[in-house]
Amino acid sequence: MKRFALAGNPNCGKTTLFNSLTGSTAHVGNWPGVTVDKRDGVYKKCAEEVKIVDLPGIYSLSPYTPEEVIARNYILDEKPDCVINIVDATNLERNLYLTTQIMEIDVPMVVALNMMDAVEKQGDKIDEKELEKRLGVPVIKISALKEEGLKELMDKAYNESNKTREGVTVLEKSSLSHLIGDVKIALKGQKVSNPLFHAIKLVEQDSIEVEMHKSTVSMVEEFKNTFNDEIFGTDFEALVADARYKYISKNFAPVLSRADKTKFKMTKSDKADKVLTHKIWGIPIFLVILFGIFHLTFSENLLWLGSIFNMPSLKDLGLLTAGGDPMNFGVKLLACIYDGAIYSPGVIINNIWNDLIVGELFGLIKGGVEASGMAPWAIGLINDGIIEGIGAVLSFLPPILVLFLFFSILEDSGYMARIAFILDRMFRKFGLSGRAFLPMIMGFGCSVPAMINTRTLADEKERTATIRVIPFFSCGAKLPILTAVAGAIVARFGVGNADLITYGMYLLGIITAICSVLLMRSTSLKGETPPFIMELPAYHAPQFKNLMAHLWDKTKHFVKKAFTIIFASTVVIWVLSHFDFTWHMLEDEQINQSILAQISMLFQPIFTPLGFGSQLGQYGWVFVLAAVSGLIAKENVISTFATLAACLAAASSGIIEGLDISAEDGVDAVVAMIRVTGITIPGLLAFIAFNMTTIPCFAAVATAKAELQSSKRYHGTLVFWIVTSFAVSAMVYTIGSWWWTMFIWAAAIAVVVLCIIAYNKRQTLKQQ
Amino acid sequence: MPIVIAPLNTELRIVRISADDKTKKHLENLGITINGEVSVLSKSGGTVVCKIKDGRIALDSNLSTKIFVA
Repeated sequence: MKRFALAGNPNCGKTTLFNSLTGSTAHVGNWPGVTVDKRDGVYKKCAEEVKIVDLPGIYSLSPYTPEEVIARNYILDEKPDCVINIVDATNLERNLYLTTQIMEIDVPMVVALNMMDAVEKQGDKIDEKELEKRLGVPVIKISALKEEGLKELMDKAYNESNKTREGVTVLEKSSLSHLIGDVKIALKGQKVSNPLFHAIKLVEQDSIEVEMHKSTVSMVEEFKNTFNDEIFGTDFEALVADARYKYISKNFAPVLSRADKTKFKMTKSDKADKVLTHKIWGIPIFLVILFGIFHLTFSENLLWLGSIFNMPSLKDLGLLTAGGDPMNFGVKLLACIYDGAIYSPGVIINNIWNDLIVGELFGLIKGGVEASGMAPWAIGLINDGIIEGIGAVLSFLPPILVLFLFFSILEDSGYMARIAFILDRMFRKFGLSGRAFLPMIMGFGCSVPAMINTRTLADEKERTATIRVIPFFSCGAKLPILTAVAGAIVARFGVGNADLITYGMYLLGIITAICSVLLMRSTSLKGETPPFIMELPAYHAPQFKNLMAHLWDKTKHFVKKAFTIIFASTVVIWVLSHFDFTWHMLEDEQINQSILAQISMLFQPIFTPLGFGSQLGQYGWVFVLAAVSGLIAKENVISTFATLAACLAAASSGIIEGLDISAEDGVDAVVAMIRVTGITIPGLLAFIAFNMTTIPCFAAVATAKAELQSSKRYHGTLVFWIVTSFAVSAMVYTIGSWWWTMFIWAAAIAVVVLCIIAYNKRQTLKQQ
Repeated sequence: MPIVIAPLNTELRIVRISADDKTKKHLENLGITINGEVSVLSKSGGTVVCKIKDGRIALDSNLSTKIFVA
């Protein structure tokens, strides 16, 4: 099958074109996220089926970010049959800069002139026939959004792919053309493919090329000694860039005729930016939008209408049976949307999914398994182990998808780039650039795509620091731990407010992240804060098709996870909690003899300073076990409590009296744990803090390992997570239990900070 | 003068960029080259949004003192 690659600047409409061309055949080779990895799909309307590969958005073929390296290597090494270069017609000159570089590679190419509708709307015109003549490669006008010109584009690309094309350059007339010619001949002699491209990059002294063609570099160095440009000196890189832009403005730009000649016209986007990136109002506006997103996703009291109008609950309306269940299906449906207050869209979708779809479906399956007449252990394994486990993961799909949908809207509309810009000044104080904001905020949804998104950070140290703190931005799967434990604290001890505890814990995570970034950037990951250079794309309405494509990727990833990692881990936990070391199957009440319990008890003492260790007695290991099972997936923590509560009920009578331990929210399961262990409030808070800051789930650890690309940095990251979680939760527990320990902690922190400052000062003195 | 103190909405020409090679390369890719035309759209607390060709580029306060225009 022929392969066509899509290449273009970020925000040129490449992803839209890709989605239009491939439709449902699109396939993401790796984790989902915004186009940071290779996506491919099949286009079926040519003479034969063609594979379309979407390359990351790039400004040039020089390696500044890892994404540029991916795109460059793909075109050079994998040799696609044709490169479709998408050019944003509203920013023609800048986009053609990349075009002039792709033209230098010996690969067939066509130029797709996108966003022509926006250009024509301004009354401007582009003569694409003239541009085609001047470029020497086919140029086709398209609108990826309206799906216009796609057939023509693909037919042309198919046609081109049957020919060969030799690289041409716009640098023919520049002062470096002789050198380029000589280097090209030398490389050709060495049988290097794409000699022109490599010759030019070598002249630019691009780091990858210099590494690849060490023997030829001397030619460039020699020439450099005899060369001196008035403006650029011997900065060949700048000279080449300048020559390219000059050629583009002189030869290609005239194809665009502008209707409005006034130079400093404010576009709608510029006007919106006056408000949205305002010095004072920018950040408050952003905070309101962020709060709105979380409110629409998680709130059970939309716009506080319930409180404002004092709406009656379903119980007040007499719609519930004596047992507190809905009277009929209609009421059940209503309960998804309303109970004393209207729920937010996120909660409504969540309720419909969990109470109606997953709940009913899994209920049916469980009933079927029970009636099947299998051995009791098999029924237990399937119903309590596997189905419960998969159900737990699937139940988090709605909030994560809704949150992700909102972030996709922000990203697609162009506002995300502005947020990074207005937060840059604040981030700079912590030693990060504003770009690091995007992966961090994505961490509230799921750490995995968030860590992948760090590829947009050019600086290696900044990237490492960001990957390490991403788990502290409590992800969707950690939310149930927060709500269940917070709910149990309120239910059992009658103090505080569950929402307040939840928000407080989110805040604790963020503060931990800030402190650790500060610490890392002044010790192990020292370095200058990378510069912030970001393009602010014109605002536009997000496209439904793109949003759905993003969500679909995400859903596929989640369902896959539910049926692989979680599936395996629930089976393992179930087996380990139902067998002892001699492999005798245990009854539920003998759980204390199980392999799992024995191992957990071994580790129990370590958690004593955190409030959930040895002081909790015989059954105290349940908290240890829950935390450890969270390493597989954070969804496991609460489902482990539910499983264990059922077992413990049989072992220790009276602990589940008046509780519904199988309730979805897990509050009663936690209350049962509190009753049986006698854990204190600070101990519970420390438990939450530990789960939030410790090693994240398997999937996130695997992603971190892949993204860090160095086993030393990866092991450092694991140690960092363990140390941070112990320190933070020990602090929460001790200060919560004995307030005066605050002074000891403060003193310890002060000593550490002073030591670091003193050490850094001495280092700088030494360097001088 | 550094671009951070340049007047708004005026056509300017870049005369010097004193940044490290990697940053300079990235600026070049975005169209910020010596001799290139640029105009400043807005400024706030040292950060600058400028218009290069038909694109809008945001620069942090440190970088905006290192790009010199005339």
